[in-house]
Amino acid sequence: MVKSVPAWLRILSVVFVALTALILLAPLIVVVGVSVSESQFIAFPPNGLSLRWYSQVLSSNAYLGAGWISIQIALMVTGFATLIGGAAAIAIHRRQLPFSDVLATVFLSPLVLPTIIYAIGMLMFWSSAFGPVSPVTLALSHTIIALPYVVRTTLAVLAESNPYLEEAARTMGANRLQRLWFVVVPQCIPGLAAGAFFAFNISFDEAVLSLFLRGPTLTTLPVQIYGQLEFSPDPSVAAVSTIMIALTIVLIFVIDRMLGLTKFASA
Amino acid sequence: MNDRMENLLLALPGLLLLVLAFFLPIGQMLVLSVTGPEGPLAPFVRFLSDPYYLGILWRTVRLSLLITLICGAIGFPLAYIMTKVGPRLRLWLVVMVILPLMTSVVVRTFGWMVLLSRSGLIPEMLRDMGLVGRNFALMQTETAIVIGMVQVLLPFMALSILGVLTRIDGRLEEAARTMGCSFLQTIRTVVLPLALPGIVAGSLLCFTLSASAFITPNLLGGTRIQVLAASIYKSVTATPDWPFAAAQAVILFAGIALVLVPYIKMTGARNG
Repeated sequence: MVKSVPAWLRILSVVFVALTALILLAPLIVVVGVSVSESQFIAFPPNGLSLRWYSQVLSSNAYLGAGWISIQIALMVTGFATLIGGAAAIAIHRRQLPFSDVLATVFLSPLVLPTIIYAIGMLMFWSSAFGPVSPVTLALSHTIIALPYVVRTTLAVLAESNPYLEEAARTMGANRLQRLWFVVVPQCIPGLAAGAFFAFNISFDEAVLSLFLRGPTLTTLPVQIYGQLEFSPDPSVAAVSTIMIALTIVLIFVIDRMLGLTKFASA
Repeated sequence: MNDRMENLLLALPGLLLLVLAFFLPIGQMLVLSVTGPEGPLAPFVRFLSDPYYLGILWRTVRLSLLITLICGAIGFPLAYIMTKVGPRLRLWLVVMVILPLMTSVVVRTFGWMVLLSRSGLIPEMLRDMGLVGRNFALMQTETAIVIGMVQVLLPFMALSILGVLTRIDGRLEEAARTMGCSFLQTIRTVVLPLALPGIVAGSLLCFTLSASAFITPNLLGGTRIQVLAASIYKSVTATPDWPFAAAQAVILFAGIALVLVPYIKMTGARNG
């Protein structure tokens, strides 16, 4: 008979998981706590309870402007990355192009290069070729780093798809476009959706590229928060941060409903 | 139109984007780093002959190794426990790992700034427990950077290892136990070797990301305790010195490659 896990080890693992949860979640809990504080200064545990910092954020042009830019760029990135990455994943999956493996590596390569190195390269390149950076610069560079995620999630879904469906559609007389649109794309949807959520999340939270490629009128929410933290943080930073955390929770909930989070995490 | 044409058309937008907005800028930066106005390789000579910058380089390597080690020490047991619990609890553990992962680094670092500040919860607690003196401070120390970075990078390590662990055949462990291995022996002789690819992948990821991080180190370590990436950021923003920034970026990348290549080779050889 197999001996079970010793009791001391079970207790140890419960303690271990609790401590790890504390390390992982403490900064988020603290941020939420500070955001509802009444006090003028950043304090945790919070003194009193008020939503004054939220109303201050919602009437601050700096935050609202930055938030609006962040949303616009994130939506652009989601569109670009999902379209371009999804199409590329279909081509890579079919393995009919020469160098299919190289192609996959090329599309995943932005994952390997540290973002800061890419950020400098992009800043120098854009300034020397086109002049000052614009929202398009930022959207393009965010698309580059979001692309591997879309390619990966779509490839994972395609790997489990039925290869004979497309063949069947061909025999039944569907042309190329019809096969692509009515057979292949619907099979990709879960992967495309997951990739789209990732792309939105990456772009919305990204701070390194956004810091290097910022301009007087091009400040995203994370850059705005970073600037506040460097100089004079007050609880309104916590309120904005809490809104960002809430958005992340919504995204995770949607991903879990659509795809199953556990399967997704160990993919 | 044939099949190959169709696939080429599908991949083309992505390829064009990657070539024009990824490979070209990086190539141009590489060229700029060796052909600065001060003469070829001048920025490299400046970096490598200045004790100040060498100190920054050494701190970056030292902290990144420490952070990777701590992430591995926490990440492996965490991932292992995640494979052993029931589906409901596992979902909660995955949420616990993914929620911080998907939250902006800026936001998480802010949380640590509050916790670690002079009047923050953690120094207060340590003072109350009498473990440290009255003047004890955590902010603007290397310890603060390590704490913050471990929280930022732990999810990457845990998920990398989890991906490999879920694919291990559970019967192998049972077999080891029936053959008389204790629990810890099973972990050491069966689970750990099989999980090695995940541990390696997670370590590479953690090392690369921590060596190139500057937001958390800047905010928690302050301007006095600089790491390489923070120095790059300063070269770009404070005193626009692009060749020097490019040279430091190349050094960062070369340094990462220097650590990664033997690491991959070593573990690759051991796995056959």
